[in-house]
Amino acid sequence: MKIELRKFGLVLTSRPDGREAFAGIRPTLDLSAPHVEIDFAGVLSLSPSWADEFFGELQKIYGDRLTYLPSDNPSVKATLRILKEQHNGS
Amino acid sequence: MSNDLLTIGQAAKYLNVSQDTLRRWDASGRLTSIRSSGGHRYYQRSVLERFKKELFRLATIWASSGMPPEIPSTDHSETQDSFKARLQRMAADINMNPDLALQAALVPAITGEIGNNSFDHNIGNWPDETGVFFAYDLNKREVILADRGVGIRSTLSRVKEDIETDVQALNIAMTKIISGRSDEHRGNGLKYVREVAIDYPIGVTLQSGSAVAIIQKDDPKELKIMPADQYIRGVLARIDY
Repeated sequence: MKIELRKFGLVLTSRPDGREAFAGIRPTLDLSAPHVEIDFAGVLSLSPSWADEFFGELQKIYGDRLTYLPSDNPSVKATLRILKEQHNGS
Repeated sequence: MSNDLLTIGQAAKYLNVSQDTLRRWDASGRLTSIRSSGGHRYYQRSVLERFKKELFRLATIWASSGMPPEIPSTDHSETQDSFKARLQRMAADINMNPDLALQAALVPAITGEIGNNSFDHNIGNWPDETGVFFAYDLNKREVILADRGVGIRSTLSRVKEDIETDVQALNIAMTKIISGRSDEHRGNGLKYVREVAIDYPIGVTLQSGSAVAIIQKDDPKELKIMPADQYIRGVLARIDY
């Protein structure tokens, strides 16, 4: 299963929006999917607050089955790095 | 009158403030008018243009005054939804320039972290004026943000008790990973802002209380935190890109 983030908007920065995005996609999730890929293509700007809320919930469901597809977008790369530090530091 | 002179009504419309505000600003010397022989106020277009562009000065006054002065409604995002709409507009505006692809990705992200922090941390708790001052200048390549909230030290003190100074609070906010309520992460947005500003040609100045954090746009790319010139209860920030 692939989740295309561009469907949630071009600029993804706030916690309320991240929570709302997850609530919107929640009913459509295939809970038994062996792999879930996050596709960042088409997203202009992503920040950790949105990502923390959205990916955090997906992580609870899928754990290691969740993977992030490579992205050249610097805001995506910086966001994933912070989330990793946050995960390791908590 | 020539095209370069605007009546007070035209000037009020141009700056998006009331005519009474312009009269007050005239009396206080903040924005003086030219008087006709009949006593009517006129404003030079070039002066108004310059005044409108001095965003940081306007934000500083708005953030630091005991009573917040009136500001153009276009610069005041009273709700998180209006902030979001304006942030998307800014991202699209920066992205129009093909030379600024890097900045179009990063500047909205760090602007979003700073602005959304203002809402997330002050919701239901604004001391007076709600929302954020948010304005940007595409020519000067700057973004200005401010809020009249409770400030970073007060916010951090909810989850971390042993913070004694604003400098200490700002240092923690910019450099340390913080966990808030269980199962939820808080306060890590400014760490992201720091990492982006250190890694890319983006400058950030962020003040809260009596402390200011500065990362220059150009080398040396390092975070400096020091006492500020004047006290601001909430947050005042400038991004140069």
